[in-house]
Amino acid sequence: MGVKKRISGCVATANAVKLADVEVICSFPIRPYTGIMSELARMVADGELDAEFVHGEGEHGQLSVVYGASAAGARAFTGSAGVGVTYAMELYSPISGERLPLQMAIADRTLDPPGDFGSEHTDALCLRDQGWIQGWAATPQEALDLTLLYYRIGEDPRVLLPQYACQDGYFVSHIFGDVEIPDVAQVKEFLPPYKNHHVLDPRNPQIMGAQMEPAMGPGMQYQRYQAVESARQVIEEAHDEFGRIFGRKYAPWVEEYMTDDAEIAIFMQGGHSETCKTVVKRLRNLGEKVGMVRLRTFRPFPTQHVREALAKFKAVGVVDNSANFGISGGAGVLLTEARTALYGLGDKVKTLGFVAGLGGEMITHEEFHKMFGKLKEVAKTGKTGKENFWLPFEL
Amino acid sequence: MTKENLFEEPGLKQITVWARGVYENKEARDVVVAITEAAASEGRFVQAWENYVDLPDRIYVPVRAYGKISDQEIKSKYVYENEAPDIVALTEETLVKGVNILEGIKPGAVLVVNTRRPAGYLFKFIKQGTENLSKIVTVDANSLAKSIITLSGAEGATDASGIGKGMGAALAAAIVKATGIVQFESLLKIVGNKNAAKKAFEMADVVEVKTLVRAG
Amino acid sequence: MSVQVKDVPFAGTVPSPKTENEGMITGSWRTRRPILDKDKCTDCRMCWISCPDSSINLTNGSVSFNLKYCKGCGICNEICPVGAISLVPELDFEE
Ligand code: SF4
Ligand code: SF4
Repeated sequence: MGVKKRISGCVATANAVKLADVEVICSFPIRPYTGIMSELARMVADGELDAEFVHGEGEHGQLSVVYGASAAGARAFTGSAGVGVTYAMELYSPISGERLPLQMAIADRTLDPPGDFGSEHTDALCLRDQGWIQGWAATPQEALDLTLLYYRIGEDPRVLLPQYACQDGYFVSHIFGDVEIPDVAQVKEFLPPYKNHHVLDPRNPQIMGAQMEPAMGPGMQYQRYQAVESARQVIEEAHDEFGRIFGRKYAPWVEEYMTDDAEIAIFMQGGHSETCKTVVKRLRNLGEKVGMVRLRTFRPFPTQHVREALAKFKAVGVVDNSANFGISGGAGVLLTEARTALYGLGDKVKTLGFVAGLGGEMITHEEFHKMFGKLKEVAKTGKTGKENFWLPFEL
Repeated sequence: MTKENLFEEPGLKQITVWARGVYENKEARDVVVAITEAAASEGRFVQAWENYVDLPDRIYVPVRAYGKISDQEIKSKYVYENEAPDIVALTEETLVKGVNILEGIKPGAVLVVNTRRPAGYLFKFIKQGTENLSKIVTVDANSLAKSIITLSGAEGATDASGIGKGMGAALAAAIVKATGIVQFESLLKIVGNKNAAKKAFEMADVVEVKTLVRAG
Repeated sequence: MSVQVKDVPFAGTVPSPKTENEGMITGSWRTRRPILDKDKCTDCRMCWISCPDSSINLTNGSVSFNLKYCKGCGICNEICPVGAISLVPELDFEE
């Protein structure tokens, strides 16, 4: 059995990287994810972890280093935040195209402006369609667990895809939470050693990322599409195994909180769901039929599961913690994805978009309370009127 | 939906420790970590973290570390600050001057200061928030242990230099003496410098604010 | 709590401080106050050049401290060739 400690999301992630016995790590500092790398650097320096620790000259360099390391057959890890994430944009597609299952931790930070350190999912969401596995942890414990889960999913021979393991900067990455750190034997059972069938090896030379003709294009992309689609099965299996070995059972796609007989619900992802839960609980105590659905895996998007989860409500408020200017629906990515998932159900489920917590601002109990108030009104009257709200100014 | 008192957390205790950037970051963090770990060992719900918006990499800048202790699960989990502290502690005495250290304190709150000066002298410098203050506790923590200057433990990482090895242990002990927020025995089990903690627990001088003369 | 839209500077552009920056008053960082011994001072201006916060004023050729911004770093005390600046605990001064 593991040990229980109170640690930050950064330290939780670093512990998972150590347990996964990662072989190559590439760092470059940017708040708030920096704590992960300083912890790993300490582990390597203290001899707790035997890994090659390379300091990149920037995020583009970081991703290039782990790209090469993974191609050479090493289990590799990197990470970043905010504009660091977007600076490495060129590398994300080649890495998934090359089918290299390395992992990148993202502790969210806003892009500039406002140039503060606060969390916003915008950075990681910019990368969402690059053929990586992606999802958000809501607590330090889940940050640790995601790292282990994602290596297992990504390295599965049916998948071979890289992963973004995301956590809200500061809220999850910096505030200490209760974490059970599993023991090595459990992790060994869950996560077999990394073996890729196409590795760079001088004894068996091959060219990676060779020039292709347009005629090859459709097939190349279709391969990647198939990999992402076959990840669905593997994600479910991995979560089952995880629950069996570690005793923590996560729903692989959506976590439903107090949704039994609920008439209205919030749909969201990430750490602010913890705040939302306490509001749901309080409102339940007052007899209100409210619930919450938290998305756990964002890519591949579980269209069917989201549809099933949300179809039972009269009104759903989708909370977007990202800035998506000019997007359909006028709120964020999650609203458009949720509406796509609900497509075909007609007007049965009313959907409202709430943009909240931008620039790293907290999403308060009171704000969630207001969202539920709005949803209740919509559920009662059956009329929506304005459908997108930028908090705190429009609600 | 009624809103009244919906989000109150009656049993929640908040500790805010003010310190000087860089050379006291660790000590401020140690105070909240030591006390919350002690509380956790008594079976209570706790949280500890450092202020994220202060500028902790600038020497002398006022910085803060926070702790929360409750008998129930903590609801206000993902916030930036302690809005209504029950305990305010200063790792450095000059913070009484020109910094609004008592902002938002609850009625009956306690101020604990690392200083050689008497409470009455410090009190003269505090311009705001004293109406809710009940006690000032002074302890010369610097004479019991040094401040450990390290970047270990910054940015949420593990502090490899050990919890309560330095002056923070003494300050934490003074807090415990004045407030009884945790059992002193629980605190002693956590802090590295047990000697400093024991001496501070004896030495700390607790003064009722009602006996002091208010600032101008 | 979030600042109202109208109170957020347009496009994050703020006027550059010309003489002082009210948004960053560093005087509260000070634990020790620099005190000048006028008899020793030779008006060499080394402290004036070296102060990282431009908190030393020069009036009619002689130096004085701007305590609103002096953060008490002690560089002036280190740099003074004749030892004319001493550092005194800030709490020794009631004002
Ligand atoms: S102590 Fe530092 S900030 Fe103050 S006047 Fe001297 S050099 Fe300038
Ligand atoms: S460096 Fe010393 S001698 Fe020179 S102007 Fe400053 S105080 Fe006077």
